[in-house]
Amino acid sequence: MRTTRTRRLAGAIALALTVATAATACGAGEDGKADDGGQTRVFAADNGQITIPVSPKRVIATGYAVPALLEAGAPLVGVSSWKRGIPLFNEQERKKYDELAKVAGESASETNYEAIAQADPDLIVIGVPKPVLADIDIKRLEAIAPVVAIGPSVPSMWRELSRKQADAAGATAGFDALKTAYDTKAKALAEKYKAVVPQLKLGHVGAYGEVAKGNFQREFNGSWGTNIAQDIGATYYGQVKVKGGGSKDVSEYPSIEELPTAFAQADAITYSVAADGSVPPPVKYVLDSPLWKELPAVKAGKVYPFRYTEAATYRAATSTLDAVDQAFAPLLKQ
Amino acid sequence: MNALVLRRGRFSARIERRTLVFLVAMLVVIAGLTLLGLCYGAAWASPARVFAALTGSGGGPGVVIREWRLPRVLAGLVFGAALGLAGAIFQNVTRNPLGSPDVIGLDAGAYTGALFAITVLSGTSTQLTIGSVLGGVITAAIVYALSLGGGLSGLRLIVIGIAINAMLTALNSWIVLRAELEIAIAAVGWNAGSLNGVGWDDVAIPFGVLAVLFAVLFTRAPALHQAALGGALAVTTGVRWDRLRLALVLIGVGCTATVTAVAGPIAFIALAAPQIGRRLARTPGIALLPAALTGAVLLTSADLAAQMLLAPESLPVGVVSTVIGGGYLIWLLTKEVRRT
Amino acid sequence: MTATGRSALLGAALLGLVVVAVLSVGIGAHAIAPGEVVRALLGEGNPSDRAVVLDIRMPRAVLAIGVGAALAVGGVLVQALSRNALAEPGVLGVTAGAGFAIAVGSSFGLAASAPIELGLAVLGAFGASALVYAVGSRSPLRLVLAGTALSAVLLGLTLGLRLLFPDTFDVYRFWSVGSLAGREQAPTTVPLIVIGLSLLGAFAVSRQLNAIALGETVAHTLGANVARVRTVTLLLITLMAGAATALAGPILFVGLIVPHLARRVAGASIPWLIAFAALLGPVLMLAADVGSRVLLPTGEVPVAIVTAFLGGPVLIWAVRKYGAAPL
Repeated sequence: MRTTRTRRLAGAIALALTVATAATACGAGEDGKADDGGQTRVFAADNGQITIPVSPKRVIATGYAVPALLEAGAPLVGVSSWKRGIPLFNEQERKKYDELAKVAGESASETNYEAIAQADPDLIVIGVPKPVLADIDIKRLEAIAPVVAIGPSVPSMWRELSRKQADAAGATAGFDALKTAYDTKAKALAEKYKAVVPQLKLGHVGAYGEVAKGNFQREFNGSWGTNIAQDIGATYYGQVKVKGGGSKDVSEYPSIEELPTAFAQADAITYSVAADGSVPPPVKYVLDSPLWKELPAVKAGKVYPFRYTEAATYRAATSTLDAVDQAFAPLLKQ
Repeated sequence: MNALVLRRGRFSARIERRTLVFLVAMLVVIAGLTLLGLCYGAAWASPARVFAALTGSGGGPGVVIREWRLPRVLAGLVFGAALGLAGAIFQNVTRNPLGSPDVIGLDAGAYTGALFAITVLSGTSTQLTIGSVLGGVITAAIVYALSLGGGLSGLRLIVIGIAINAMLTALNSWIVLRAELEIAIAAVGWNAGSLNGVGWDDVAIPFGVLAVLFAVLFTRAPALHQAALGGALAVTTGVRWDRLRLALVLIGVGCTATVTAVAGPIAFIALAAPQIGRRLARTPGIALLPAALTGAVLLTSADLAAQMLLAPESLPVGVVSTVIGGGYLIWLLTKEVRRT
Repeated sequence: MTATGRSALLGAALLGLVVVAVLSVGIGAHAIAPGEVVRALLGEGNPSDRAVVLDIRMPRAVLAIGVGAALAVGGVLVQALSRNALAEPGVLGVTAGAGFAIAVGSSFGLAASAPIELGLAVLGAFGASALVYAVGSRSPLRLVLAGTALSAVLLGLTLGLRLLFPDTFDVYRFWSVGSLAGREQAPTTVPLIVIGLSLLGAFAVSRQLNAIALGETVAHTLGANVARVRTVTLLLITLMAGAATALAGPILFVGLIVPHLARRVAGASIPWLIAFAALLGPVLMLAADVGSRVLLPTGEVPVAIVTAFLGGPVLIWAVRKYGAAPL
């Protein structure tokens, strides 16, 4: 018994000594802050009227601001981890994302304040919805640099949201270029399909996030899977049964039993697929259901898959336009 | 000589030798962890710089050490001790090694309160704190009230606690299920417990509250040991068991609610620390001091691991503490099996 | 209670089961008139209604019966084995193991379809309970402690994975609230057969479990091979609880409440307990499933939530009235 106790005590002391030695062997870290004596302006954000530099040189972005600022070419020095945006990045953006220092995890409570301080930013853009801000110590971030919170609400708001985020980061030039490219293409496609698409009563089966088993996601105008197609003239009939604010105003999750009644009047049905074209499980569940085959639109063969439906920035949405074009092409041949 | 006896005037204390060894060992480990915690960060600081910062100088890096790291490390120690003590109290009162604030629905109630603040109200920090404290305390009160009357036994408290806990957990899962993805992730992140971003203004009041609770507990400790053989026997030796039990439960709830208000629910430390502490210090029952020290070590090392594992991304401390605490408990159980 | 009394009650329970099963086929999100339901059952009527009744609701009712019986009988067995009235099948780590496997699979991009999810859950359930058995097979208390500790570790790891990978988070939060909805396309035949066979096995081992409930030494003198019975029982619990959790996700209260309810009627005799549990479990599940469909004006409440809010008050009432009844 004595030996065990002595061994335990010796072990504890050895551990403490090792720890102390390891700490001594580490170098010292400097923590200086560059003072930017540039001009400032007042910006309206979710967290109030914030004074920010006119042209920031070192920007930290978190949440939805990450893809928006990556695309617009803002001068980023650090981002939060944003795995769900990765499938939508093009090669350039992916490379940049991988190279940037990660200063926060997927959830706001994992913000690494020291890493942010070390990156020495002059602006911090937080792209998370308001209730999530409670997890972040805004005061501590404000001690490092001005903080603007610009978070999402309704899905189709991404246009406004990404513009605000790019504006705050002083990257409006890059943003405007992308927006113009998108608008031009949308107009061209609306022309191309004006004889066939606007006349269709469309229904959409969505796959944004997980869907509870036994339900399916039906998206109406203004939702993730539909808002970009609307730019070329598509209209999705109907309304949600019960409005719930935010995305619940434009999409709902009925039980699979209600599939026949939900799409009884649809002339054609579109559905979301993954970036690589594979069908996500919530949509596959609908496609494999015996109730699907009874739908008039399905019997007429008028079903069309859309890729990149989660696009929340103009460059990604341009890919969506291409996908919609690809999907609707058979309509022109009739 | 197996015990150390200290006498001074009317005061005398008897400390077992093995307990003394355990105490010294734990204090050394705690000192080492504290130093490591103060040195570690986005940029390592040498111990010399740490000492300079603690004594007031050190400039920029000194601010980081004093204002950001020091409260976090101290919170790890004090909150860990508080959770360990709460667990020891509950395991004593309910006479069950699985009795802990988690089991009787305290944490689930705090989560419900926080979810209410995030999804129904606008989810500011203050609302989160108040919501979680109210939710936890009200739940504990309901469980306690339901288990009163007709010969209260520890088992009844636990059964009712399990029932309420299951209902609240179901309700919480339902709320998380219906929320938007980002809000759900934030809510679950809060529920995992985190010491990230803890500063002096966050811990000033909780430290004060906990100091008072610890002091009151210290005065009650001898009575608790007298009651170790059972409430009936304790009464014959002069312990007011009913009042003692109520006081103890209140202290336990107070400790847990205070920690939860700042850091969110950090489950499993209250369950594991007393068990691990008891086995390490080889005390006959669930003793308070080993539980407190083990809790402090567990939480602090879990927090360090949470920061280091995936740097610069940090994990919530509740994830790491569960894995460490549970793993160690399994290992201890395996050792016991092999010995018999 | 006499044997005749018990048999009569058993018959009543069976009748109750049939009634609730019929209700479950007739009620759903898409309102179908009772006459139409009967026609659909006979194979006539309009094709959409037929598909709803035969391809969606019928399999769901069968699933409810299987899962309910598995969880309830699993609860009886685990309470007998651990001699702890608070034990339920999840205490052996089965639920946490299944959830962990799903989280790991989804983090690697694997949990893409129902069969894969099912397979992962089964693997996880079995792996966890094997580990628990290896650590805690010596004594009932150690079994429960080991199961609780392992469950906690796995839940912690799962939580870590969920917070690192948003996709895993999403997959898990939907799986983790047990529900009977939407499983009609999943390969449920094999797990249901496994449950059926395990129920038979439970009956086979029930007499010997009676002896063990009196304590190990008494059991030895009564001629029961304690070690073998314990191993077989653990295997049966794992099979039933693992299959049920893999099929429907975690449904916590059925394994805890039904044995208590059955005990009011059947006393301590394990064969009778198993018989009643095998009927009362499905009744509870079907009733909860019907409730889950009608409680909200739109959409469903997952069945695990309904059972929690049914079972919780019942448990509290039972404990207050009768005291925490030991085995």
